[in-house]
Amino acid sequence: MTQTVPTTKENDRASQKRAELLGQLNANQPPGARLEHEGSIPLGPAMLVQRYRLGNGLTLLTSIDASAPVVSYHTWFAVGSRHEKLGKTGLAHLFEHLMFNETENHPAGSFDRTLEEAGAESNAATWVDWTFYHESIPKDRVGLVIELEAERMAKLVLREPQVTSEKEVVANERRYRVDDDVEGAVSELLYKTAYTAHAYSWPTIGWMADIEGFTTEDCALFYRTYYAPNNATVVVVGDFKEKDLLAKIQKAYGRLESAEIPVEDVKPEPPQAEARRLRVKKPTATDKIAIAYHGPAFGDVDHVPLTMLCEVLFSGRSSRAHRALVQDEEIATELRGWVSTFRDPGLFEIYATARPGKTSAELLVALDREIAKVIAEPVTLAELDKVKAKVELALVQSLETAGGKAEQIGFYHTVLGDPGGAFSRLDAYRRTTRSDLLRVARRYLTNERRTIIEVHPEASSDERG
Amino acid sequence: MSEDDVSHAPSHVEEAKANHGPANGEPRIFVEDSRALPLVSIAVALRSGAASDPVAKDGLTRVMVRMLRRGCRGMTSHEFEETVDALGAEISADVSSSVITLHADVISRSLDRVVDLMAKMMAEPTFDEVELGKLLRETQGEIVEARDNDRSLATRHFRRLVFEGHAYGRRIGGTIPSVLGLTQADVRACHAHHFQRGNIAIAFAGDVREARAAELAQRLVAALPNRRPTPSEIDSPERQGKRRLVFVDKPERTQTQILLGEVGSHPRDADHIALHLATTIFGGTFTSRMMRAIRSDRGWSYGAYARLPYDKQRDAFSMWTFPAAKDAAACIALELELLQAWREKGISARELAFAKRYLVRSHAFDIDTPQKRVHQRLDIDLFDLPADYHDKYVDHVQAVTLDEANEATRRRISSDDLVVSVVGTHAEIGEAVATAVPGLAKVEVVAYDAE
Repeated sequence: MTQTVPTTKENDRASQKRAELLGQLNANQPPGARLEHEGSIPLGPAMLVQRYRLGNGLTLLTSIDASAPVVSYHTWFAVGSRHEKLGKTGLAHLFEHLMFNETENHPAGSFDRTLEEAGAESNAATWVDWTFYHESIPKDRVGLVIELEAERMAKLVLREPQVTSEKEVVANERRYRVDDDVEGAVSELLYKTAYTAHAYSWPTIGWMADIEGFTTEDCALFYRTYYAPNNATVVVVGDFKEKDLLAKIQKAYGRLESAEIPVEDVKPEPPQAEARRLRVKKPTATDKIAIAYHGPAFGDVDHVPLTMLCEVLFSGRSSRAHRALVQDEEIATELRGWVSTFRDPGLFEIYATARPGKTSAELLVALDREIAKVIAEPVTLAELDKVKAKVELALVQSLETAGGKAEQIGFYHTVLGDPGGAFSRLDAYRRTTRSDLLRVARRYLTNERRTIIEVHPEASSDERG
Repeated sequence: MSEDDVSHAPSHVEEAKANHGPANGEPRIFVEDSRALPLVSIAVALRSGAASDPVAKDGLTRVMVRMLRRGCRGMTSHEFEETVDALGAEISADVSSSVITLHADVISRSLDRVVDLMAKMMAEPTFDEVELGKLLRETQGEIVEARDNDRSLATRHFRRLVFEGHAYGRRIGGTIPSVLGLTQADVRACHAHHFQRGNIAIAFAGDVREARAAELAQRLVAALPNRRPTPSEIDSPERQGKRRLVFVDKPERTQTQILLGEVGSHPRDADHIALHLATTIFGGTFTSRMMRAIRSDRGWSYGAYARLPYDKQRDAFSMWTFPAAKDAAACIALELELLQAWREKGISARELAFAKRYLVRSHAFDIDTPQKRVHQRLDIDLFDLPADYHDKYVDHVQAVTLDEANEATRRRISSDDLVVSVVGTHAEIGEAVATAVPGLAKVEVVAYDAE
């Protein structure tokens, strides 16, 4: 891989050198700007992540990768749609859009223009547990990203016209992803029905009425509450010099003040005692079905075996359900399964589309039969080994670019507090046994814990005349 | 193609572009060696594609390629899939009008076995009749399912009109009647046409050294006939010279999908890079003219982009937006205004300087992985690009003058020869949309579920 993990002697030398560097950087700095090295964390067999913290609470994770002359810079905030309230859903996502607007020292539109001029690729994403902003930039321009990101963390300017325009953009994004998209609409309904108390019940993009109702003051309050260095992690991966990077980070972020992050008003989801089932009609040609079983949190010991079970059932043409429903019985066109990677307990989701002339009821019978089999009998050793090979390949593929590495580090740090968690998880996959899969199948795939959404087509254009 | 269209003769590029092997009857091999990860990416590319599908047999090449993984000598379809997954590999295939690509990603330790598996699937497919029947029915289901995707519907009808009567306007996946009419004999003949050693280029990227890659490449093609297929050249598409609107009518649309455009340009065109720069200003970035006018100023569409892709010949220049149904007509009118202003007034020196800085500096991300680097070299071979297109890309971008960029726009972009493709609910916005496009020579309204 890109680095060789140092020996103990090399580690000692590096630690001493780093201590001297931090001594120089911290001289005459106020407490909020003082940098502390918290440790070196292995990222697999050949890479290292250095973890630092500024006095104001900002976490910094760095990993040098000189395989290309670029740097990927991620800023992860521990805020997502789970931190919203009913009536104000979608605020975290709307706010992500607003972060590309005016700041005290940069007029509206200049953030993107300046980065594009430097050759950067930039974007952002929001989900239930987090929001992250990312830039990939030629290595000689990394100072620019540091300056711009630090500026918008504390000095964003929110004005009515930009908020109004961005609400309209988000409403259009919602029409694109949900209102006019059968699968998006079904997924939203699935979560709304499966959760009755927890914040995972509402969509990250928000309900349309809430999007339309946001005020500039709502946005300003959200910013003051959650956008602070002590609620953020900066991840830097690529071809940079550690000393230069630390000095620039310290200079740009050291002046920012930490905030008092509110205690989260968590409402745990009560256990589901009986199955929930809805039927809806959509302008689509074929029946569809979505099923969700309540599952474990991403950090739960059961998450790895349940993910592997999902792979056995639904991943690719060699999976059990694909073989049965698509290839042998020819009742499905498309089939997918997924276990939510959320901080709190998520869902084991299944989505299937019926062949023309086949029904969601037929899909359900066939899916139930496949689920009954994994509850009754352990999967085969060959199936288990196959999944282990597949997850290993997926992890290696995700590390091809500096951006891919930064995303793995940022995601695992934000959700599990472990920047090297991707490899710890790979080790967990390797240790998992057939007994583990049998155990989680019996624990989670029970009918009373599930929600079913059946989709039926409205009339075709021929039938409508 | 007119004389001024060609600045770089593709015949000069042959020697420079291949690492190994003569171009005559043997595969061309490209390698980008990197030890960064225990991963190897393999692309086996054939210089022919769906354009060679016989009339009324649309979808044949794609079906043939999908059949490769549904059984080969000594292995059933199920056994093949089990083996690929157990090796820690992924094998996929793409079919375009002019190229077929088989792609594999594999953990290094399984490289040899995956190469042998790919060699077998290419040379010894069984094309089992039962499996073929299953695939044809599966494809029928997928064609029906694709009607749920509004963007895909807009694209399908946009290309049908832009490339009317040309291979690029055909449906690579076929129609339900054309697919259901395919036979085992069709598939065998199609395979024999495409899979010949002289038709193949192979690219390796990642954890494999050049000498070993050459040996593996020979193993990949050893059992294929040592011939070149009869060339099936794709003509250069012609402009239709009029404004045409296709409205794809679908119920309950709160939003529209809109594509506007016409035949674009190709890197062999002397003014391609100049037009590429001008298109970047117009709709190629997050701060482009389109994005500012449509998204930032009005909030009408989540995205607003212009693209200038290429294939073996000129592909379509297109503008893509997806406004709410209530804003669709106004958005189209604005897009036409923007297009006209771009064409008549051109871009400014300041805009050109910005686009150059953006393209030159962001070029680092075109080459930041071995896979991207090797695919650039492969593209030269597959799409008949000028030999130095990628190597000298930055120099070519830097060399474009303002006059060249604006002249290229005037020459290649027309606001009169234009196809407008809209997916929406016709009863609600059809009339307003048609009114927003003056001078229409043709208007089609088609049901979203019409084949």
